[in-house]
Amino acid sequence: MSPAPRDHGVLIGMMSLEDDARVDFSLLRGERRAKVLSGMETHGLDALMLGGSGDVHYVSGARQLGRAGVLPYAPVAVVVRETGRVHLMSTWDEGVPPEIAREDLYGLSWNPMSLMASLANVPGLRDSRRVGTDGLTPMFAAMISQLVGSAELVDAAPVMAAARRIKAADEITCLDVASAIAESALSAMEDALRPGIAERELLGIYDEHVARLGAPTPPSESVCFATPSRGPVRFRHLASDRPVGDGELVVLAPGALYAGYEAGLARTRVAGQSAPPGAADLLSRCARSMEALLAACRAGNTGADLYRAWEDAGGVESPVPLAHGLGLGAEPPVIGLGRGAEASLEEGMVLSVQSWVAEEGVGGCLQRATVVIESGGASALTRYGRL
Amino acid sequence: MRRERFQKLQDGLSAGGLDGLVLLGSSSVVYATGAAMPAQDGDRAALFRAVAVVVKGESAPHLYTLYADGAPPELPSDHLHGPLFPDLDDGMDLFAKALTAHFAAGAGIGVDHQSHAMLRGLSGFDWADASGVLGAAKLQKTVDEVSCIRQAQLLNELAMVDALRILRPGVRQIDLSAVFLRRVFELGASAGGIDPIWQVMAPTREIGPWTLHGDLAYPTVTTDRFLRHGDVIWVDAGIVWEGYASDYGRTWITGADPNAQQLVQFRRWRSVVDACLDILKPGVSGLQLGKVAIQANDGVRPWIEHFYLAHGVGTDSAEMPLIGTDFGDQFDEQLIMQPGMVAVFEPVIWEDGAAGYRSEDIVAVTDTGWIKLSGSTYDPYGFGA
Repeated sequence: MSPAPRDHGVLIGMMSLEDDARVDFSLLRGERRAKVLSGMETHGLDALMLGGSGDVHYVSGARQLGRAGVLPYAPVAVVVRETGRVHLMSTWDEGVPPEIAREDLYGLSWNPMSLMASLANVPGLRDSRRVGTDGLTPMFAAMISQLVGSAELVDAAPVMAAARRIKAADEITCLDVASAIAESALSAMEDALRPGIAERELLGIYDEHVARLGAPTPPSESVCFATPSRGPVRFRHLASDRPVGDGELVVLAPGALYAGYEAGLARTRVAGQSAPPGAADLLSRCARSMEALLAACRAGNTGADLYRAWEDAGGVESPVPLAHGLGLGAEPPVIGLGRGAEASLEEGMVLSVQSWVAEEGVGGCLQRATVVIESGGASALTRYGRL
Repeated sequence: MRRERFQKLQDGLSAGGLDGLVLLGSSSVVYATGAAMPAQDGDRAALFRAVAVVVKGESAPHLYTLYADGAPPELPSDHLHGPLFPDLDDGMDLFAKALTAHFAAGAGIGVDHQSHAMLRGLSGFDWADASGVLGAAKLQKTVDEVSCIRQAQLLNELAMVDALRILRPGVRQIDLSAVFLRRVFELGASAGGIDPIWQVMAPTREIGPWTLHGDLAYPTVTTDRFLRHGDVIWVDAGIVWEGYASDYGRTWITGADPNAQQLVQFRRWRSVVDACLDILKPGVSGLQLGKVAIQANDGVRPWIEHFYLAHGVGTDSAEMPLIGTDFGDQFDEQLIMQPGMVAVFEPVIWEDGAAGYRSEDIVAVTDTGWIKLSGSTYDPYGFGA
């Protein structure tokens, strides 16, 4: 490939190209691993035992089975500083990148005792003095302590969260691709939106579309809801059987994953021809608040600046976060819901930013964007017409 | 159903001498509270997780959630709370306040997961592993729980009819996912479970993916791989209805009907499951089930080394009872089948050189035997009771 394509657009696709123009995943994994090992050095950690799916993905780069929900902690990936090796719980090597050799794998076990026996064979792990984990259970705390003797069990977050927080250029490209997939899903949902369609049908169309594009695991199935033009308006997360009413404002909020990286966006559309009176005002209020939030997403600002921007634009307390981090899934900080006033924004962070406004008698309106913090301010990775 | 589950947890607390439970894993929260939440991928599900608090002696659980629209209708309003953020140091003031409202200092609390923020920020309690209380409660299903599993399974099977219909050379694995997922949500699934699996089985172990144990690799992750004439596909998918997981397993063939050898594989699979079902009733041990399965397969263990002959299903896609795992024979011997246990039998018939057959039959153990929760068509191999 050309050393650095001047038109970034050539990178935005999922198939590999003959000239290797797109993301060089081997390079990306190498960068991530180097960041982790150097963080371990800085924080004096000899080993990491990780269970969080984003952390495991970050250190291993393995294609793992997508599953909904969060499981209690278990050590799925191990990083040993002395050897520089990453070990992964996988009974086979399909989906495992080549730098994780077959001898670096340990098998899936149901019995935690067998798991511990496998881990005992990981070179260098038992000699660790400080071991970072990204969670624990009382059972694993006891078992890991037994495995690593007198080693101290500490939080892996200073290494992992720090490594994941600022995105490398190839990570941004992955997020760009995820954004494009999400935009494509939004187009499909928009095409299907009409009075009478049920939310669950729209969810089905969304899932069908992202699967067909090769990204079948949705970051969230909370992708659409109709808002009533009469009575109280609530932000809803679960798709219902209820048919969308003529003239209702409908939130379409698809996300997508590409190589584990998550992006998403939301737009609000009117189902049918006639919007309820007051809809135009509500939509422009939503857009103004969004602009205010985006303007506050600057390096050096804090969560408090987002709160202030939101309030100055007339926003009332939001039932969803104003912003949160994105990368290999959702990440800290969470700004909103009373959290994150002190979180600082730095160049290279990626955020999901959202503006939700509602008015009884009209409905609700959501705008959401995926943005990267750059030196001059926030730059949107997701692009889509407002209305 | 939710009341009965809650009572079981209360009984477990009394038996285990605990003052309460704090639950953070998605399936445990669902079990304890009946809360619905949108299916979310790993770290999103973690950062925005719902939390359940069960206090000994109370009549309802406490649910801390961002997804208030998923709270069960009967949950008293003072038991429904806004979200906690157990993964953030920034969330510990809220979390500590919540726990102080429910528990006295020094209380013994069962927990299923602890973040380091919790380990730093929630002192003054005596934390124990919640798995004992949860495991005991979940092991035997109530009649309503069994009905939920059956309904989840029915939706899953119906959506698979549409997926199988499009299977022909040139279709990709993700095309099958697309058809399946769209249809299953139209039919009423509450949430997806796992990324559907359409693994093409190489005819020999040697040319399949390398494994640590030399046995088969399964399941491998779906991609845009094209399915080609004659490919033998082991399908596995699970969706969720009202918090309960389905588990669909079948073998398909791309662009061809099963040949005589493949039909023999299927009949052997059937006879292995039938051998288990012939003896299945309360009082039978996991080890006995394993033995008759091996016997019916002429002495060869008919399941993959890293898996099992059978596993339970409930609010988790694989839970106790596990039969034939690395817990070992002694564990299996002590695992006695009881009414209300649900078992997914998924033996594997393998003929190196001619691939093999794998399906899954789900049954619930009754007072006298069992009832089947999964369907009895095994297209394109035909019917089997």
